[in-house]
Amino acid sequence: MNRRFLIGLLLVWSLGPLLWQVYTSFCSDQALIQPFVSHDQRWTLIHYQNVLNANPPFWRYLVNSLIVGVSSTFLCLLLALPAAYALNRIPRQLSTLSRLALVGAALFPYVLLFLALLELARALNLGNQLLALSLPYAALSQPLAILLLNNAFNDLPPELEDAAKLEGLSLFQRFRWILIPLISPATASTAILVFLFSWNEYPIALTWISDSSKLTLPVAMARIAGSSIYSVPYGAYAAATVLGSIPLVLLVLIFQKPIVSGLTSGAVKG
Amino acid sequence: MTLQIQNLGRHVGQQWIVRHLNLHVDNGECVALVGPSGCGKSSTLRLIAGLDQASEGEIILNRKNVSHVSAAQRAVGMVFQSYALLPHLSVFANLELGLRVRGVRASDRQQRIQAMLELVQLQDRANVLPAKLSGGQRQRVALARALLRDPDVYLLDEPMSNLDAQLREELRPELRRLVLDRQKPVIHVTHDQHEAMAIADRIAVLHSGRIQQVASPTELYHHPETLFIAKFIGRPQINCLRPKDGVVTAVRPESLFFAKEGLPCKIMSREWLGSSQLLYLDSPEGSLRLSCSTSVDIPELLIVSWHRSDEHYFDAESGRRL
Repeated sequence: MNRRFLIGLLLVWSLGPLLWQVYTSFCSDQALIQPFVSHDQRWTLIHYQNVLNANPPFWRYLVNSLIVGVSSTFLCLLLALPAAYALNRIPRQLSTLSRLALVGAALFPYVLLFLALLELARALNLGNQLLALSLPYAALSQPLAILLLNNAFNDLPPELEDAAKLEGLSLFQRFRWILIPLISPATASTAILVFLFSWNEYPIALTWISDSSKLTLPVAMARIAGSSIYSVPYGAYAAATVLGSIPLVLLVLIFQKPIVSGLTSGAVKG
Repeated sequence: MTLQIQNLGRHVGQQWIVRHLNLHVDNGECVALVGPSGCGKSSTLRLIAGLDQASEGEIILNRKNVSHVSAAQRAVGMVFQSYALLPHLSVFANLELGLRVRGVRASDRQQRIQAMLELVQLQDRANVLPAKLSGGQRQRVALARALLRDPDVYLLDEPMSNLDAQLREELRPELRRLVLDRQKPVIHVTHDQHEAMAIADRIAVLHSGRIQQVASPTELYHHPETLFIAKFIGRPQINCLRPKDGVVTAVRPESLFFAKEGLPCKIMSREWLGSSQLLYLDSPEGSLRLSCSTSVDIPELLIVSWHRSDEHYFDAESGRRL
């Protein structure tokens, strides 16, 4: 089959729903249910105005999600980087066992933990605190982050660290000057994955946060979708989706190169 | 300054990587460690550098036992096979890192690095990343880094193995000028025996983690202590005749000559080596190699012989020289 046709099909498959959301967000409610509406009545910014002027305004949820995403990513990398490094330095049998355990943890459906986490939040009084959400998010992202970063550490020639040891660099200095800069592509791709997870996470955010000014994006969007029992506000929901996607699209576009090189590191020996 | 290694050994699990290693390297002396792959050459260097912990034995540097001193405090300058230059830092930054960590002032750092770059003739490459340098230039940066440390001992781990044969030959005098003339003990690991013979004052042959013989290149070539050394040192390889009464007789290819009486042979193949030629022969004593000048006419009826004084005798079982 023609290669271009296949690429086109793939683009429609992956970008079609997104473009449909963008289209819907700019369409008036009338245009959504009537196909033949005049040009003047079809296009509108009303959905964006409604979403941004709501109480609390939509940008508040964006900021909330940003706070949770950044803090979760930071906390996760802070713990995963030394753990991934240590995984290469411990005895081989222990390292293999740890890797197996990490793969198991990464594959574990986290929704099953959700009741236990809720109990924890209640016991430790972590409810309705945005930064507290980063604790379960960072913890749940740990296994995948450690495995990805461990791969990156594996790919580094050991002589680089040996040479640095002979130069007198301490473990922290080696981390700061050599290891972190050299695995930055893998760190960037891991950071994006952790950020995406915390940006999209729904069940924990739904149960830990009830204060409407502290909601994260997925919970806020679910509230928009279910705001009326008589109708589904397609336009407002689409506008919220578009606004919620912009930070992610920007993030991926900015860090496209390190993400791709980080995800494929170790696939082919250079 | 002297380096003394006494009964050094390291094992991983049940397997000894290096064992019963004894070596003395004097001030200004270069000892080459040679041996087949996996014989423990690089492991020995890592033990001396402090990058790996010895399971037994002592390393004495300037009459001080440094066996339990960390790598950073051993005053060892090491050049790695892969050069181990940090790819994200410029040549200048690569050289500066160690000085900065050791607390050298910024103005001093600048001065010392400039002087070192002039010494290794790379003053115009200071701000270039290692990836933009040629193999020879990278090697010189790695040497410069080791020299800046002003160490008590230099350890060179196959520093020329990534270079082509011509460049290796060109860089030998450079290595001599930069490192070997510094009046410090030098241990040079190489798998290239020509390089070892050209550079080293003495050569230590390692086999299965143990030193088989330490001697000058001439001594090693003419009086190998084991059959393994006789086979390992010298190219083309020494001829080993069929064992008789538990004794292996070995003769160097250049000691063989055409004669009227001796072993009748048949030519199997011939290699043209420029100034000399190498003949692969089939004889009643097994296959032989004969090296002779290209000007020599090869007779039709091929009979080869050698002087008894050129024969080496080894015990067929232990391989020891008799």
